[in-house]
Amino acid sequence: MVMADEEENGVSIQLEFPKGRVKKIMALDKDVKRVSSEALFLVSRSTELFLQFLAEKSAQVAIEKKRKTVNLEHIRVAVKRHQPTRDFLLDELPPPSQAAKPDKPTQPAGRPKLDPAPRGTRCIDQFFRKPEPENTAQAPGQPPENPAQAQSPENPDQDQAQSPVPVDES
Amino acid sequence: MSDAPPSPTHESGGEQSPRGSSSGAREQDRYLPIANISRIMKKALPPNGKIAKDAKDTMQECVSEFISFITSEASEKCQKEKRKTINGDDLLWAMATLGFEDYIEPLKVYLARYREAEGDTKGSARSGDGSATPDQVGLAGQNSQLVHQGSLNYIGLQVQPQHLVMPSMQSHE
Repeated sequence: MVMADEEENGVSIQLEFPKGRVKKIMALDKDVKRVSSEALFLVSRSTELFLQFLAEKSAQVAIEKKRKTVNLEHIRVAVKRHQPTRDFLLDELPPPSQAAKPDKPTQPAGRPKLDPAPRGTRCIDQFFRKPEPENTAQAPGQPPENPAQAQSPENPDQDQAQSPVPVDES
Repeated sequence: MSDAPPSPTHESGGEQSPRGSSSGAREQDRYLPIANISRIMKKALPPNGKIAKDAKDTMQECVSEFISFITSEASEKCQKEKRKTINGDDLLWAMATLGFEDYIEPLKVYLARYREAEGDTKGSARSGDGSATPDQVGLAGQNSQLVHQGSLNYIGLQVQPQHLVMPSMQSHE
């Protein structure tokens, strides 16, 4: 009925965008409580003007670059040329390197791990060498043959405990 | 509406998240229909001009950003002046402040025509002549009551044609 009235009056104030959607976008700002019908009308109409303006400027950029198709780069140039639009919009546009909007949030991260094999090998050797001197000392036949041990019975024990290398098995 | 934000009638989303990561329902709520955007863009192009998909998507984001931009400025003015309802003058002021002075004269012309249409509708509603049906008057009354119930409820309401005849919202100094 309202639309019919408008048509009868011959005044074309039909909006391009649905009012409900415009209102939802306005309400994304939590501080926005209530909006009058005039305000909603003005936002819808100004959005049309803004879109028309930006589309015209983008088309000019495309023509300058001998292109028939308007793409993202043309919009970016058009935004840069208008200071008020540039102020609030340039940071919102996708970066040039991501013109196709590829999303790669994860990055490959590989760490080389330390190889404990050499140290492990040494540890095993050390464990093997410790029991042999004790076995040699415990043998009853060898002490009398060894002159060093026969001369000083206490010192051989200390030598074996501290440095097993000097011990001669032959 | 489908989502459950902290506030009952508001939709969360302070930051502009990438379009790819937002859900379909939320994306519908935060952007204008791309068909309408395409239609207006084509009017500004030469007859043989075309629009790339990424250009349409970017324009969709640009216009939402524009709406949020001027709405926030108008909302701040309302808060400073201890008013709860954003009216037309607040938005004209916001656009002038933000550098879109060129829009004010065309918008005033549109606004004058808009008010003329409202005046005719008001006359119809008041006189109760043939052009205004009883159902329309009844619905207008219901909308008026809903508005006065609470500010939060009003935000969630879907705008209907009968909204145009609300006398309480038309006061202008």
